[in-house]
Amino acid sequence: MHAVYPLLLGALLFAVGLYGVLARRNAITVLMAIELLLNAVTVNLVAFGALLRDRFNTGQVFTLFVITLAAAETGLGLAIVLMIYRQRGNAQIDGQRELAEPLGGPRDELQPGAGAPAVGPDAEVEDEPAAGRALEPTKAAR
Amino acid sequence: MNLFALITIALPALGSAVTFAGARDARHVKFWSVAPIAAALFCSLVVQVAHGAGGTSTAITELAPAGQYTVWLGTRVSGLSALTGILVTVVALCVQVFSLTYMREEKRYPTYAALISLFTAAMLLVVYSADLIVLLVGWEIMGACSYFLIGHYWERPDARSGSIKAFLVTKTGDVPFLFGIVALGVRAGSFRIDDVLHHVGVNGLPYAPFIAVLLLCGVVGKSAQFPLHTWLPDAMAGPTPISALIHAATMVAAGVYVVALLYPVFLLSPGVLTLMAVIAAVTMTGSAVAAFAQTDIKKVLAYSTVSQLAYMLGGLAVGGRTAAVFHLLAHGAFKALLFLAAGVVIHHVGSNELSAMGGLRHRMPTTYRTMTIGLAALVGVPLLSGWFSKEAILGAAWDAQGGFAAPGRIVLIAGLLTVGLTAAYATRLWLKMFWGPFPAASPDEHRVEAPQSELVPLIVLAVPSAVFGFVALGGGAFASWIGGAFGLAAPAGTGADLAPAGPTSAISFALTVLGTGGVWYAWRRDPAADPARLLGRWRETALYGFYLDDVQDLIIVQPAKALARLVGFLDTEVVDGYVRGAGMGARGLGGLLRRVQTGNIQLYLTALFTGVIVIAAAVAILVGHGAGAVR
Amino acid sequence: MATLLVLLLALPAVGLAVLYALPARQAARVGAAAGALVFLLSLAVLPLFDYGRAEQMQGRLDVPWVPAFDLRFHLGVDGISLPLLLLTTLLTALCLLYAVRTTAKDESGRTFTALILLLEIGMVGTFLAQDLLLFFVFFEIVLLPMYGLIHRWGSGEERRRAADKFILYTLLGSALMLLGFLLIHARTGTFDMVALAQRHGLGMTLGVQEAAFLLVGLGFAIKTPMWPLHTWLPDAHTCAPTVGSVLLAGVLLKMGTYGLIRIGAGMLPLGAHKFAFALGCFGTVGIVYGALACINQARRGGDLKRLIAYSSVGHMGFVLLGVATLTRVGLDGALFASVAHGLITGLLFFIAGGFKERLGTTDLYTLGRGLYERARRYGALIAFAAMASLGLPGLAGFWGELYTIIGAAKPAAGLTSPGFHVLMAVAGLGMILTATYLLLVVRRLCMGATVGPSGADRYEPLADLSNRELVSWTPLAGLTLIAGLWPALILALADPAVHRLLGGVRQP
Repeated sequence: MHAVYPLLLGALLFAVGLYGVLARRNAITVLMAIELLLNAVTVNLVAFGALLRDRFNTGQVFTLFVITLAAAETGLGLAIVLMIYRQRGNAQIDGQRELAEPLGGPRDELQPGAGAPAVGPDAEVEDEPAAGRALEPTKAAR
Repeated sequence: MNLFALITIALPALGSAVTFAGARDARHVKFWSVAPIAAALFCSLVVQVAHGAGGTSTAITELAPAGQYTVWLGTRVSGLSALTGILVTVVALCVQVFSLTYMREEKRYPTYAALISLFTAAMLLVVYSADLIVLLVGWEIMGACSYFLIGHYWERPDARSGSIKAFLVTKTGDVPFLFGIVALGVRAGSFRIDDVLHHVGVNGLPYAPFIAVLLLCGVVGKSAQFPLHTWLPDAMAGPTPISALIHAATMVAAGVYVVALLYPVFLLSPGVLTLMAVIAAVTMTGSAVAAFAQTDIKKVLAYSTVSQLAYMLGGLAVGGRTAAVFHLLAHGAFKALLFLAAGVVIHHVGSNELSAMGGLRHRMPTTYRTMTIGLAALVGVPLLSGWFSKEAILGAAWDAQGGFAAPGRIVLIAGLLTVGLTAAYATRLWLKMFWGPFPAASPDEHRVEAPQSELVPLIVLAVPSAVFGFVALGGGAFASWIGGAFGLAAPAGTGADLAPAGPTSAISFALTVLGTGGVWYAWRRDPAADPARLLGRWRETALYGFYLDDVQDLIIVQPAKALARLVGFLDTEVVDGYVRGAGMGARGLGGLLRRVQTGNIQLYLTALFTGVIVIAAAVAILVGHGAGAVR
Repeated sequence: MATLLVLLLALPAVGLAVLYALPARQAARVGAAAGALVFLLSLAVLPLFDYGRAEQMQGRLDVPWVPAFDLRFHLGVDGISLPLLLLTTLLTALCLLYAVRTTAKDESGRTFTALILLLEIGMVGTFLAQDLLLFFVFFEIVLLPMYGLIHRWGSGEERRRAADKFILYTLLGSALMLLGFLLIHARTGTFDMVALAQRHGLGMTLGVQEAAFLLVGLGFAIKTPMWPLHTWLPDAHTCAPTVGSVLLAGVLLKMGTYGLIRIGAGMLPLGAHKFAFALGCFGTVGIVYGALACINQARRGGDLKRLIAYSSVGHMGFVLLGVATLTRVGLDGALFASVAHGLITGLLFFIAGGFKERLGTTDLYTLGRGLYERARRYGALIAFAAMASLGLPGLAGFWGELYTIIGAAKPAAGLTSPGFHVLMAVAGLGMILTATYLLLVVRRLCMGATVGPSGADRYEPLADLSNRELVSWTPLAGLTLIAGLWPALILALADPAVHRLLGGVRQP
């Protein structure tokens, strides 16, 4: 059998799984799709293991690892989804937005504003006479 | 001799330092304000005698090393500086003695006396300095002392504004002056006066008119010429003795002194001489008219000072350096006398206003006689010092040749006109003060005449006012003493420098008689009215100094205030706006980026996957290209 | 002498240790003692210094520290750094002495004193460092304590923002400066400032020098501060505590000008030539701009500390103009003006701090008038400081301005002479405006009728100078007078070093 067949199968499985992960709203469906992704990777590994025929059978060894991990991860994932469903009544993935940034930006204790204390708006400088003439005769003698 | 010059400077400085540092006991203050200056007077006389006639001498120690532009501390004694030093110490001593009783009731007398001593030391520094920068140091310290002393009565608004105005207007002239000195130093390669004069004499001076104009700015500011004269009438808000010292005899004379000192620089550009003549002409006539209209006697004397200083400047403009210096010395004596006498009268009458005075010749005979001598010298009554010095200037203007011809004509016409005007305002002052009835509204006086310590300086100053003029008849002695046309040991001046010229003497005498007679006649017709009514419609304009203060306010003060407000606004809103904008921009950018965090895991995964695709494609393309290039 | 220099850095650190060993009540006294000791130690450098060879780096200590970065612990002092070093230790000692009464007798007081001691290590180290990276390290050490001082012990609601603006703006400058240093190292292979000064730009092409000068120059320009990069200064000064303001204006600003002279003009001469005129222009604009902003602050509602801050922008403009002339006499003027400014503005901020302590505010129109009468010595000191700040000859401020002007009258070969003459004229205008606002302040504070028309006192009585203030302020006034009357004190040190820095053989 030509190597391309299992690789093509793997690619198709991967594509379907990717679609499921990215586009499906139900959490269980997403988990199933993740399984598909992992299995696609498994097929790929076995195919290349058969193709390359190395001493340690690395492809098959790795496949066993992946299967184990997938099982563990699915168990955990289902447990989390179950708790979410119990708390919120639905298991829609795109509805879980607790970690989103709030729209108004983080609350600010520093208000942007003018930096300087305002100098008074009066046009008059001070209560000093204008330079120059004394209009009335000077009373005091100096 | 240089040692004595140094001591002359150091003594008043010492007196000032001691008084500032804490002499509070009245006797100690009096001792330390009078004794050092008396000793300085003695030393300045020693300098004069030891100096002999002609020639200069210097002594040097380094003050500020800076490569080529090192500033040297040392003294330079020339005929000019020796004589001016005597003038300064004499007037300062008279003023300090006068102040002993005049300012006796003042609580700030120690500070006042210390500032006068500091001022005297600074003026002596200007006179005896060997280095232009050290001269500038003395020049500016004088300005600062003047500021503090005018503001002596700082409870009064006119003293506050007058002191600031004096400082700022002279500063406006001092900054170009600094530039002129720097230009001279840079050209000559040294700031020492001897080096500068030598360089100018041998090599000439590129940009000479420009440098001369820069120096002239400082002179115009310090010597209160148009257009920087507006500070002097307002400086009368200070105590009268300091008006005598600073604003009549010494500080305002410093400008004229510097022109006489650096005369070769000014001689290099006829255009500047004409400019000096024009300034002098405008100033002397304008201020004489203004003096005629003033009702405050100190303001009359202030405007009179401006006018007489313009005479000196005019004399310098027409090549009559000897005549100008002669007038400087004579004017110093009689103007100080006039101010001190005015002080005595003001204390007696209790007011500065002419309307409060009259008939004082019986009540205050000594003051009357000395002040009459002073006013006569001012007017130019023949054989008094003022007549000789004024005639010398007019004679120099009459005789002006060549490059001095144009300035000569200007100064001659203005000078003759001013002779008449001077006679007019002086006569008005004399008549209104000493003749006619004593106004009943004045407060009772408890003494008939001033105390001795106030009268003695008057008498002392009256003597040179009367007889100093006869120096002019001593042939060329005075002229050669101060070096003729140049300060160096150059061709001595001739006796003709000071001789009155025939035609000008006659015309000026006629004008004097006209001025005096006209005012006397107007006064005779109505002794209670003010002869200033002869000015008619122009009286009020002249009273307010031709509204030049308002012009100055309009074109300088208001724009500066507006500009300051603009800068204040710009700084917080525009320049800092950019800084705050940077901060807000960073925050905005962060806000934009935060929008990516929608909380939707699938969006994150999509982005992740897309990124992986892009990176893989990029690697594939680049590696492919690299491999292709290698092959 | 090398050990002396290390001790100068170690002693404040020892002081820190002692500070935390003793109870918090003693914190201020420990601080004052440490400051005084450091100052005395720095005075001990004076007899050890070889005045005949003031242009050479003396007391050198050169040991590797972090070889991976090529960072060496390289200290030294010459005629340029010595006056600045003494200024630093003097101001810190006076500040710590002044703070003895006002520092809280608890943990916050201990932190306050500790921050000042840390600040001192940074400031002293900056002037002693002879390795670019070491210079950078000490330069940065200064920032956090000052931030802390403004943030925690400052006054006004704006203090948080002012502290943030200060540290972020200066950090931006430092980042650029570091880039410049790294560029220099990349091209020449060394951080050693003595070696780089000797090379005087050899090994770096024109483009490299220009880029390096631009980076380094911007960093120092923000610190100096140069218009228009100055807006952090008024806010920082208005909000900082008195001691913080004095040290900020007295020393921190000098670090910028010192860097420009030492590194900019000394090591990157071609780059300096290229940007000299621009530097001069900005400096001159700063002179006039600062003065006008001060006149604006002299109005109703203006703040005294903000006014003094703007006056610093103006004075530093003169320093920048002097540096920009790239002549011996111009750099002499810049250095002299730096030292003079440290003394005079330190005194001015102390005076403002005195008002803060007595009245709780520095709003110019709420301080009352007639100080010549109400608090005689205080008023006299204000008048003296104003005269010094406006550059009255006979006081220290004049000589810096004079030599800057002479430098601008005849700038270095290759620089545009008419351009500098225009700058000189504008600087002269700035001198007039400087006199204006200072006299306006004196009029507002010291003059004015103290008794109203009814005979009652118009203003609250004000305590005159206390002994503590007298002891911590009069050294500054005295030094201003002495340096003004005998400028050779500073110039004899700085002039030979500047001559060498500019490459020795060329025009004076």
